[in-house]
Amino acid sequence: MPYLSDIQHRRVIEPNGTEVAKLADLAVVPQGQFPAVQWAILATPSGERVVRWSEMAQEIGHLRLRGRLDTITDAKLPQEALRLSRDLMDKQVVDTHGAKVVRVNDLQLSEVDGQLRLVGADVGLRGLLRRVGAEGLAERVVGLAGQKLPRGIIPWHLVEPLSAPDANVRVTVPRTKLALLHPADIADIVEEMSVDERRAVFEQLDIETAADTLSEVEPEMQASIVSDLDEERAADILDEMAPDEAADLLQDLPEERRDELVDLMQKDEAADVEELLTYPEDSAGGIMTTDFIALPAQLTAGGAIDRLRELQPDAELTYYLYVVDGQGRLDGVISLRDLVVAKPETPITEVMDRNVLKVDATSPKEEVAALIAKYNLLALPVVDARRKLLGTVTIDDVVDIMLPRGWRKRSLRSIAR
Amino acid sequence: MRGDGIARPLGALRRRATRRRIAIAGFLAVVGPGVITGFAGNEAGGVTTYSSVGAHFGFALLWLLLVASIGLGVIQEMCSRMGITTGQGLSDLIRERFGVRWTILAMLVLIIANGSNVVAEFAGIAASVEILGVPRIVSVPLAALGVWTLVVFFSYRIVERVLFVLVLAFIAYPVSVFILKPDWPVVLSGFIPSLPSSPSALVFALALVGTTITPYLLFYMQASVVDKGTDRQSAAYARIDVFLGAALAGLFAFFIIVVTGTVLYPAGIQVTSAEAAAKALVPLAGERAGLLFAMGLCGASLLGAVVMPLSTSYAICEAFGWESGISKNFREAPVFMSLFTLLLLLGATIVLIPGISLIPLIISAQIANGVLLPIILVFILRLATDRRVMGDAVNGRVTTALGWGVVALAGSLSLGYLFASFFAT
Repeated sequence: MPYLSDIQHRRVIEPNGTEVAKLADLAVVPQGQFPAVQWAILATPSGERVVRWSEMAQEIGHLRLRGRLDTITDAKLPQEALRLSRDLMDKQVVDTHGAKVVRVNDLQLSEVDGQLRLVGADVGLRGLLRRVGAEGLAERVVGLAGQKLPRGIIPWHLVEPLSAPDANVRVTVPRTKLALLHPADIADIVEEMSVDERRAVFEQLDIETAADTLSEVEPEMQASIVSDLDEERAADILDEMAPDEAADLLQDLPEERRDELVDLMQKDEAADVEELLTYPEDSAGGIMTTDFIALPAQLTAGGAIDRLRELQPDAELTYYLYVVDGQGRLDGVISLRDLVVAKPETPITEVMDRNVLKVDATSPKEEVAALIAKYNLLALPVVDARRKLLGTVTIDDVVDIMLPRGWRKRSLRSIAR
Repeated sequence: MRGDGIARPLGALRRRATRRRIAIAGFLAVVGPGVITGFAGNEAGGVTTYSSVGAHFGFALLWLLLVASIGLGVIQEMCSRMGITTGQGLSDLIRERFGVRWTILAMLVLIIANGSNVVAEFAGIAASVEILGVPRIVSVPLAALGVWTLVVFFSYRIVERVLFVLVLAFIAYPVSVFILKPDWPVVLSGFIPSLPSSPSALVFALALVGTTITPYLLFYMQASVVDKGTDRQSAAYARIDVFLGAALAGLFAFFIIVVTGTVLYPAGIQVTSAEAAAKALVPLAGERAGLLFAMGLCGASLLGAVVMPLSTSYAICEAFGWESGISKNFREAPVFMSLFTLLLLLGATIVLIPGISLIPLIISAQIANGVLLPIILVFILRLATDRRVMGDAVNGRVTTALGWGVVALAGSLSLGYLFASFFAT
């Protein structure tokens, strides 16, 4: 199986054997799993020529043109074509399988059904050594120690190229492979991208994935991503995020930008977020979410279940169901299990637990974390001074506080800031 | 944190009303990389070199300092612009534009230059605490272990602040200038280009340029800009930041040379040890001069010893696509962690070679930087003038000309030094 570095710079000869050019590059249209090589770019004494790959035959040590070079008509590269050496070699790509950004050391090509195809990206040490002509030597040296040089090839259908072919034409490459990953993985990848690439990704992902991904990105970077997106798009993504996460993010933005975005958000989402923004960032109110289920105290168990059917809440909201009085004051808590086991006509006030552990909206977040950890809770209700239920802090909001320092991600970024 | 709404397409009315506020906030938001890097340049190597230059030649090389500072501004501006435009670090760009072989050359140059800087930082640590009577066999291993533990297990930010406080001791230099009341016409005559006839003049000239425009600074600067995520619309502020940083770095060096040139040069005191360098502060601090100098040098060196190995490891791993990051362990990021650890070990070990003299060691590191600088500069200029890389932010004609001027200066000093040392042997 040849590598691009093997055949690049090979002599190109005419049928009669005279050398007319060197192979400078190959080009593909990046479609399908393993795109076929369609063009060859030749370096001739009078400049570059683009010819169809089908005009060439691979022979040992060189490439032979099927006709004389001056009788072959120049082909034209379409805009979406990728030149393997210029646009992919040495560039960063996404390994969608390992969910990380890697650098291409070499490209693997293979003849499939008489068609030369791009089959993989070599991102390992071997590729690097091959480029400087030291692969064989290194292999012997490592062989002496009874070891083998590891291969680091990613099959092409798992590779997502990142860079646009040319700085001047900022074409957006559709990133379909990226969208299939878990948002947490996309977030890891996005953190390694440049500003432009990052923006492109958030413009292309569907709103829901974009929101999930943004939630997973490091807090410092969230704000800068939102600043780069256009307002409408940013507001749509914020609408889709959990209100507490949206509020945290908005807190990091300059006031003016923040107001603009809140204005563009949907009414109810915006109201939730604005309420959350009134609490200090480090308090229970600042980290809580306003998504929770509050059941009116006069319901029966059956009525409560019917209500849940209507609401169709997300799974994580159903761990604790809160019971509130007419003024929205927290009276008790019920588990889904209690509700299901009780007779349908039983009032929920009879099955609820009146001893609810709760925190004030102004409590420091460390205290909230300590309570959640101590009592093994999944969520903790947050109330105001008049016991009115405002929201809940879920365990995922405090996990970061509980983890030791070193667990949080650090990078050069921490030095630069 | 990313900045303000300078770039936002607000309504024209609103824009006019808030322009002033935004302009100030915008500047504060992008200020940083340039100014911080300007200060970071004054590590062990800088202070020692400037002190030696002042002590050996008085004010005679001030003109070169001016030229070098302008050069620093010009080149840093290119790096900052490259970072903003491409969102990539310098080593990324070198790899993508020039391929594996050239990258290996550039990275070898960087590792030699930065490796010698790490040695210089440890020499600075050893020299500073020796003033306080602590032998280097104690201080150096402790410092190496401390730096390693700090970076691997703790937050760099807190310690950064502590060290910055120590470095503030160097404010003693500008303050001294006011106390000393140097003979300004004589000082200013140093801005007339001339090379003193002493055979060591060329060596110190090279060290002066090498420590002012350190290759490391250029990589660090661009990485900081990228990490900060400065956007294209804030480029104007970023430019001010860069020039301000270069000006501050130059001004600071100017103060050191003026103080040492006024105190040490007439007295014929050569900077052969940290104690000797500290004597420049005697008019200001009396017998506390040693302590003051030791504080500043120790803080600056420790800061350098933390940042230098880290930024080197990042640059190299980025270029070759190896895993990097301090939150990763040896198994996840083997090259990054080994490189970082080895650089620290190497620096500490060389300083501990019995009988090695510290000040010449620090100066040699600056010479190595000066010799290697032109190679890195050529890479930078090739990139900054490449329209494929830079798009519309490509170098203008004046900037390019100035840039090649810096290359010519650094190159001729570097070649001159190599020739001179070749014929000397």
